[in-house]
Amino acid sequence: MTLATSIQEKQPARRLRRGDLDRRLLRLLGAAFTVVLVLYIAVPILVTAVMSFNDATVIRFPIHAWSVRWYDDFLGSPQWVDALKNSFVIAIGTTAISTTSGVLAAWAFERYTFPGKNLLYLMIMMPLFMPGVVLGLGVAMAFGGISIGGTGIYGSRGLVMLAHSLWAMPLVFMLMEATLRTLDMRIVEASHDLGGGPVRTFFEIVLPSVSTGLISSALFAFVISLNEFVMALFLTTRDTQTLPVLMWLSLRSAGTPRLAVAAVILASVVFLSLLVIMGWYVSRLRKMRPQ
Amino acid sequence: MKGQRLAPWLLMTPALAIAILFFGVPTLVMLRMSFNLHPDGRLYVPGFTLENYTSLVSDEMFLTALWTTVKLALMSSVFTVVIGYFFALLVWLKPARWRMLFIALAVCPLLISEISVIFGWWMFFPKNGLLSYALVSSGLLSDKISLMYTEFAAFVGLVYLSLPFCFFILLSIFDGIDRRLLESSADLGAAPLRTAYEVLLPLTRAGVLVAFAQSFIWTIGSYATPSALGPDTLWTIGYLIQEQMLGKHNWPKAAAFSMVVAAGVAVVMMLIRRLMVQKGAFHT
Repeated sequence: MTLATSIQEKQPARRLRRGDLDRRLLRLLGAAFTVVLVLYIAVPILVTAVMSFNDATVIRFPIHAWSVRWYDDFLGSPQWVDALKNSFVIAIGTTAISTTSGVLAAWAFERYTFPGKNLLYLMIMMPLFMPGVVLGLGVAMAFGGISIGGTGIYGSRGLVMLAHSLWAMPLVFMLMEATLRTLDMRIVEASHDLGGGPVRTFFEIVLPSVSTGLISSALFAFVISLNEFVMALFLTTRDTQTLPVLMWLSLRSAGTPRLAVAAVILASVVFLSLLVIMGWYVSRLRKMRPQ
Repeated sequence: MKGQRLAPWLLMTPALAIAILFFGVPTLVMLRMSFNLHPDGRLYVPGFTLENYTSLVSDEMFLTALWTTVKLALMSSVFTVVIGYFFALLVWLKPARWRMLFIALAVCPLLISEISVIFGWWMFFPKNGLLSYALVSSGLLSDKISLMYTEFAAFVGLVYLSLPFCFFILLSIFDGIDRRLLESSADLGAAPLRTAYEVLLPLTRAGVLVAFAQSFIWTIGSYATPSALGPDTLWTIGYLIQEQMLGKHNWPKAAAFSMVVAAGVAVVMMLIRRLMVQKGAFHT
């Protein structure tokens, strides 16, 4: 501060006033920016939440009557409930596939040295940067005509899970690689010294130490798959349609408040799973405290 | 030890299998498909022609679509980076108790499906939407207006979806900067704007590049948002791919479009990587 004071002393009035004005202006701008930003992020969310309780059959503001009739309508429609179920099953499958493969690969990269590491890293990460349209089209073309045991794999939930894993797996891999880097390798060595084999060490020492990162990346995989719809649009049939795909198709024909209900339900599944994970995390912290 | 050498490969098998089987193989299939013929009434006929690519250069529609997409992607990426930059800067400068609140705010759009975001804006912009109602009932406008199906609506949707990624990339860069630098700059007599220009900007240049590239790549490949919110004349490449595949059943052409996009994404990624290496700012 001494330098600043000396500068201010040399040119007292002007420097002081200008700096003050600048600072006040900046603070004002910051506040205005924050308000606009909060509004921007909130608008589509609030509009959807409000519209889902609309009683009318058309989407129109202002809303004159409120009801939960569109929630009843959603839950009473087999097509929409089935789509929700498909979404859930596919998201669970994607989470299992991508978390397993991503974590194992991340451990290989962290623990071992092997030739071609950079190239392999690129191979694993590349799909994450590819647009969904390109990935979905490629998988549809490559697997569209192939059948196993008489039933075509095109349109199956399994194929969608694997396609979604193209985004979810690199993401898990990337997050887990960063998490595993923070792991104290001495505990791994200690486990080996005490006679723990590599497999046992991995499951009993490594995984429990990075459980928070593991659960978070699994959650990311789940959310990505649950929300994705461009790949699913190319890869599902009427029977395996996911909720976002059905929403997209019905938005193209005509938007009704039922769509708003679907959006609210989809977001609720995401936020509920987030809450469950956070609850787990808090209880874990509490358990660890007495030690 | 033999086991030691084999172990990493065993561990990587599932991940590599997914990458190769569901990304590598399909890319090769698409590459092959893009040289096939497309006689009327059939998806494709095996053959070898460069027509699907040469027609792209002469195809007015494709060139227009390419130009629209690149323009839209450039514009929305620039905006996303500018907004994301100020957002991250704000969170970085604010006291810690605000931080979690702002981060939660930024995470929100990430957790919501693209289709829900599209639908949200779809209810905001049209004549009977919230925007028009708010403007008319507050007396700012006398007649209902519709901003739906305009490039502006598409632009708003695209920025919304790519902003969170951009914000987190930039915030992580800001978090690596020692905040005392700002104080010393001010102590040395620099006005806030000069500090921003001469201290902050050079330190965050690499992050800005990554954030821009990420946003650009995402927008180039997007298809749902521009086609649902934008005008009918807004044909992004993603839209054309989808239309060739599902609408016109022209597989070879859809494949050729996809290969162009995939090549474009790869080129942008490599360019950015090279820039980062030159700057020496990116090293994992």
